[in-house]
Amino acid sequence: MPERTDRAQHIALLLAKHGDELARHIRRIVRDNDAAQDILQDTMIRAHGGLARVAAGSNTRAWLYRIATNTSLNHLRARRRERAALLRHAAERETDGPEGSSDHQGLDARRAELWARVAGLPERQRLALTLRLADELDYEEIARRLGGTPAAARANVYQATKKLRLTLGEP
Amino acid sequence: MTVEQAAAERQAVERIVLGAFEAMTGRRGGPLRYAMMDDTPVGVLGLAAGQLGLRHVNYARGEDEFVERLLAEHGDVPVLRSDALDDVRRALDRYFAGRRLDFDLKVDLSGLPAFHRRVLDETARIPAGQVLTYTEVARRAGSPRASRAAGNALHNNPVAIVVPCHRVLRADGSLGGYGGGLPIKEWLLEHEGARPRSI
Repeated sequence: MPERTDRAQHIALLLAKHGDELARHIRRIVRDNDAAQDILQDTMIRAHGGLARVAAGSNTRAWLYRIATNTSLNHLRARRRERAALLRHAAERETDGPEGSSDHQGLDARRAELWARVAGLPERQRLALTLRLADELDYEEIARRLGGTPAAARANVYQATKKLRLTLGEP
Repeated sequence: MTVEQAAAERQAVERIVLGAFEAMTGRRGGPLRYAMMDDTPVGVLGLAAGQLGLRHVNYARGEDEFVERLLAEHGDVPVLRSDALDDVRRALDRYFAGRRLDFDLKVDLSGLPAFHRRVLDETARIPAGQVLTYTEVARRAGSPRASRAAGNALHNNPVAIVVPCHRVLRADGSLGGYGGGLPIKEWLLEHEGARPRSI
């Protein structure tokens, strides 16, 4: 599959030349090594897809920084939303009753739905997700606590997050 | 940032890049780190080192060309730009400034055929300011009649300047060949105070 090989070669070149500084940049924004790797990969995929449109000799480096910055900020936003949803849910369970809110009914329904989804996740996915979002552990630590490999922990969180995103009506 | 924090950050950053390398290209393992020296008296140099030492000091047209060459030649490992080669860069700066003409760097020639390695090992022992003939280097490498093969090994020296293949000349004192071009060979010998036409 020549196309695939070209893509790998091209991405290898971009990673070789810019991976170091981009990883540093991303890591400073998201302060999370696991997420930084995902974002770097995302950046590379976007860069590979868009490079044909960038004229040779134009500032590839600045352009890569822009993609990395946007991807990092999107990640932080999504992360904040997921975390807020999970913490809302946790707080609700603690106090066993929501605080006053004009949007009471809608919020309640959303919480109930979210909780149903979270509770309905396979146990390992649910635990991995909670450790990741509420306790902010890295995948190595999650693997240590739940058993299995960091890669498996990552996969569990990924699957759980995907389902949660669907619940929240996000792409 | 303290030195420790900087080292920890560099390590974390490398892990991120290497993780992305493996996930996206299948390249894994000990990486090849590279750096460029853009304006030396002999032009653009590309440097690359693995865990075991310096593997490349190459004359290059530019960064893209050098990195593509590394990726093609080392088809199985990740390649990444790194400031970990600062010691090599400093040693070369000292060399070009004439402050110190010999190198105390760990060189890794393990990927080369045994005879090439022996030729380059012997070449590395020639002090600055001196020269040897191809025949003499071949003899020291254990094959006195293999001067042509020795020339071949020297022509393909992956670690130019640091392994001073420019200090090897023809028996008649003429320059012979040089991967970086003969004007550079001449410049290096003059810089070191060797007199190529007087042996």
